[in-house]
Amino acid sequence: MPPSLRCTSSLPSTCAKKLCRAGQLTRSFSTTPSQDQRITRNRRQLFRWLGSQGQSFLNPLSGSTNYLGAYNAQGQLKRVVEAAAEAEKKKKLKEGKGGEAATQSEPELGNEDKEFKGEIPPETTRDLQPFPLNRSFISQPVLSDELREEIWKRVLQDGKSVREVSAELTVEMSRVGAVVRLKEIEKEWERTGRPLVNPYHEAVMSMLPKTPYDPTGKIKPKPHESINDLPVHRATGTQIFHPTSESRHFTRADAAEVFSERLLPPDLRVPHPELAEMHKDYKAGLSVEEREERQKERDAIADRKRERAAKKQAKKEAAVKKVDTGRVVFRFTEISVDEAGKDGRGFKGVGWRYGHPHMDRTRGAVKIPTSVE
Amino acid sequence: MVVKIRLARFGRRRAPFYNIVVAQARTARNSKPIEVLGTYDPIPKAPIDGEGKRWKDIKLDSARAKYWLGVGAQPSDPAWRLLSMAGLLEPKYRPKA
Repeated sequence: MPPSLRCTSSLPSTCAKKLCRAGQLTRSFSTTPSQDQRITRNRRQLFRWLGSQGQSFLNPLSGSTNYLGAYNAQGQLKRVVEAAAEAEKKKKLKEGKGGEAATQSEPELGNEDKEFKGEIPPETTRDLQPFPLNRSFISQPVLSDELREEIWKRVLQDGKSVREVSAELTVEMSRVGAVVRLKEIEKEWERTGRPLVNPYHEAVMSMLPKTPYDPTGKIKPKPHESINDLPVHRATGTQIFHPTSESRHFTRADAAEVFSERLLPPDLRVPHPELAEMHKDYKAGLSVEEREERQKERDAIADRKRERAAKKQAKKEAAVKKVDTGRVVFRFTEISVDEAGKDGRGFKGVGWRYGHPHMDRTRGAVKIPTSVE
Repeated sequence: MVVKIRLARFGRRRAPFYNIVVAQARTARNSKPIEVLGTYDPIPKAPIDGEGKRWKDIKLDSARAKYWLGVGAQPSDPAWRLLSMAGLLEPKYRPKA
């Protein structure tokens, strides 16, 4: 083994040693006492990196993500370098063209000025890779504070349905539900004076890509995610060879039936079938008025259906007698003893049956629950 | 012999479930009764809409229960408690104020 090199020994004051000291002034990376720290090649490289490329992570960009993938080997932002090169190219082109285009290209000049001033161009997918060796890992945007507030407002103050809000703001329905629930908790905490970890929230949000929302409508709304993806159903996992006659008009609904008798066609299984219907009308070349008319009809049908279901549910609920005893509510449901039939084994009858052995304790009976409540 | 309205315990260990039955007083608890008036599930369930109190499920044929009370069937104490909650009897025990 080579003799160990120590920082405190009579080595000439190298660049690395200086860096080592400088590093200790700002932040210690190790709890080992400084006299035990050896100057190794790795350590030297670390401090060299911290002095050059690492500077971008010590003093992160404000108002942008700051991932490793966004920087080149020299520690420069790739998109800034590219924008500068592009601007240079344009400038040269213009010079080549001469004075004839000078009057026409005023807006372009404005753009160049922006870049020269040092305004950072927006991130591309390449700049959103936190791990340069894992190219498939792309940091996905999260909902901005304004967008979350807007979702909460539309659902709880404007009384819109989750489905509507989801379609309007292109945010998945489950996410809309989650935002509303968490916002409610947040507001409850604010009401009761429970402290929120706002500095932490702000720090994390400043580091992540966000989906913006501008209430004034100046910024064009950006879709947050794809909201109408067809969920994979287990029944469709098998490969089926289904012979049909050539003359038969085999639709998606038929295919669904082949997979499973109870499987709905994909047009109905997507989260927003109404969007598909609207698009179908658009594809059919209907005018805006006609499309609106059709949409209104569909809305009316949906409303009627919802009302009927609500009425049915209310009727069912009204038939249940509720007695509150303090800790729990006893719910009395009216039944009829005649449902059990003459032999007491009718399938509508209630209660534990007599003369029926329970087979769940027999050998070989599968007792693994299929669902958890 | 006396006809009683009482509870018959079914279910599993730590998972009780009762049939509310009309039976002869001297028959075994889980023997075949004269009639099954309903059921009582004493395990509280989580509230349906996610808020409010937990609830216990009782199914009861109140018309038949009334008939049996009318012809002199004697409810046991737990059965009396349930039937009084359903409004078929005067409560036997009241919480002390």
